[in-house]
Amino acid sequence: MSNFTRRGFLGLTSAAALGAGLSACTGGGASTGGGATQSGSNELRLFTYEGDETIGLLKAQIKKFDEQNGTTTTVDSLPGSGAAVYPDKLRTELLGGKGPDIWRIWGGQIGAPFAKAKQALDLSPYYSKYGWDSKISTTAIGGMTFDGVKTGVPFVSLGIGAWYNKSLFAKAGVSGPPKTYAELEALNDKLVAVGVTPCGLGGKYGWDIMRLFEYLLEHTAGPDLHDKLLTGAESWDRPEVVEAFTLFKKWQDKKWLPQGALGLDPADIEPGYVQGKTAYTITGPWTEAAAILTAKKSPAGFGNFELPTDKTPARHSGFVEGYMINAKTGNADKAAALLDFILQPAAQKAMQISASTVKGAEPDPKALPLSAEWSTKYGGNPFYTIQDQAFPKKQADQYFSVQSDLLQGSVQPDAAAKKMQEIVSAWAKS
Amino acid sequence: MAGTVAVKPSTVKRGGRWSPWLFAIPALAVYVAFLVYPALSSLWFSLTNWDGLSATYKFVGLDNYFKLPHDPVVVSAVQNNLIWTVVTIAVPTVIGLLLAIALNGKVHGKPILRLIFYTPAVLPLVSIASIWGWLYNPQYGAINSFLRMIGLDGLAQAWLGQDSTALWAVMVPAIWLRTGFPMLLYLAALQGIPNELYEAATVDGATKWQQFWHVTMPSLRPAHYIVLALSLIDSFKVFDMIYAMTYGGPGTSTQVMGTWMYFNVFQYYQAGYGTAIAVVITLVAVAVGIPYVRSQTREAS
Repeated sequence: MSNFTRRGFLGLTSAAALGAGLSACTGGGASTGGGATQSGSNELRLFTYEGDETIGLLKAQIKKFDEQNGTTTTVDSLPGSGAAVYPDKLRTELLGGKGPDIWRIWGGQIGAPFAKAKQALDLSPYYSKYGWDSKISTTAIGGMTFDGVKTGVPFVSLGIGAWYNKSLFAKAGVSGPPKTYAELEALNDKLVAVGVTPCGLGGKYGWDIMRLFEYLLEHTAGPDLHDKLLTGAESWDRPEVVEAFTLFKKWQDKKWLPQGALGLDPADIEPGYVQGKTAYTITGPWTEAAAILTAKKSPAGFGNFELPTDKTPARHSGFVEGYMINAKTGNADKAAALLDFILQPAAQKAMQISASTVKGAEPDPKALPLSAEWSTKYGGNPFYTIQDQAFPKKQADQYFSVQSDLLQGSVQPDAAAKKMQEIVSAWAKS
Repeated sequence: MAGTVAVKPSTVKRGGRWSPWLFAIPALAVYVAFLVYPALSSLWFSLTNWDGLSATYKFVGLDNYFKLPHDPVVVSAVQNNLIWTVVTIAVPTVIGLLLAIALNGKVHGKPILRLIFYTPAVLPLVSIASIWGWLYNPQYGAINSFLRMIGLDGLAQAWLGQDSTALWAVMVPAIWLRTGFPMLLYLAALQGIPNELYEAATVDGATKWQQFWHVTMPSLRPAHYIVLALSLIDSFKVFDMIYAMTYGGPGTSTQVMGTWMYFNVFQYYQAGYGTAIAVVITLVAVAVGIPYVRSQTREAS
């Protein structure tokens, strides 16, 4: 098999089709790409997925940086799509020769392709220059390190837990969060008895309802086995996995999930606990700004808790998000300087980052009381990699498909466990 | 007058035999740059294992094409495409024709009714997907609420949340938005049929039904061609409605070839394989389009 370079192919064929003039535009490896800024330029472009509720805060900090450094930074955002669409847009921009200088991205298998394809710059020199190793949580840095290369710098480390509506818990006669899995099931029964749907999750895209299954797997398998399952080091075809799938189905059959949960859009159903349609959802601290404060509700009416696993150590699902720098940017130093600026505790606080990886930038209890509470109570607990970052997208979608079949009753729990083993072992071998 | 030479206008050929090509060059250049070249480069990438992001890739011959029949999602996507094509051509066409006939008669408020029936076609697709997503909401949606209100609780379903109904549920808004277009075309064609034909048929004792089959339908032949050809193209390239409403799910139950191509190219970093799917879609669309083009050519000649 011959090796080809994409740019080489484009250059060659362009030359044949359109002559030397056009080939000069598309071929060659020295191009910086249309959108990445040229060396020496004072222009930067940052691509993110911040929503309307927080983009202004980011832009304010960037403006501050620009004023101090004489740069002009454009911020583009694609909010609301989650990890389902944003990476596609970014990839298309990079392929079109127009990539941003800096982009925000999730860690794990979502950020990995950009590192693997060498679209993202190795940031090791900047880790040394700015001392990020000592300023940022080591676990979080691990989430943005790919094949041993620090290709991204994390700025947020988010833990997933249950966020609930206190008045609906009170309606069901429940005074506080459950401490064990049995108590959680009992809570669900009490909520259903008073006509309240317990857990608001939606199956469109797969990743939202997956948060329940990964929790159930942590509960049945425990930390050690769960981690091994995620890397393919242990077979999924085992009783603990079958039990987790059995419980997953039980949640639907007992109406602990919304009716027709598989077809619901997470964006519609997740805020249900704020609107009083569901008692709780499984989500991260961003929900305080995005759902509670946006709805102009008082955080005092809501609470959060780590889903009880009955295992030691107690863990929750979590993931990191950070920034990458375009390997083809002509402005790597300035891009890194911008990142260092927004990684300062003062900037992180000004941006109301609810789960910063930066030491000294813990959430402000006055602005985000629930996020601060989560950080104090559970922020120090270990977390397992959220499963849509543990698997590449293709395997994650196959995984979601198994969950979908199981909830619809077309696959039984033992067959689902076997199917998962086929998916994970095929991936581990590849 | 001596020295003047009479020249026949017909013998003047500026630019010689190349002149037609000179006029065609601008259009040809655009055609080659934006259609032929991307199509050929796609064909090339379908023969590689390119991940869609890296600078390098390997030539793998026809491997991607051999993999297609063994991909269970491709098999179900082809089935879904066939169902989609048949239903979303037949139903809007028939409803469009019936509406056109109704509106061609003596109906009050014709312009308003035309506007109402055509409005869905101009709405942004994402809005349509959102509207119908809410209508289909199993707990709070208008459809299930209505069914419960009239005592048909048993028919209330998780329309988009189960394999058995999801594809059909997406087809309903597709039919809703696509009915207005054939209606307008048929309406225009109906208005072009001379009234004398109906008068002659009436004199000959033809019933309304016979008039429809022997006068109206043959007169609508050119309109049928246009409606069917455009509907076929629309149906083959289905992507947006599925993507926006179900994202191919639950599981992969509503995947069609267009969305599965997208998932492979853009989400799974299997651009070579995804492009092979795109090539197959194109070949099938071309093969299906040939009879239409031939018939149109015959009509023209």
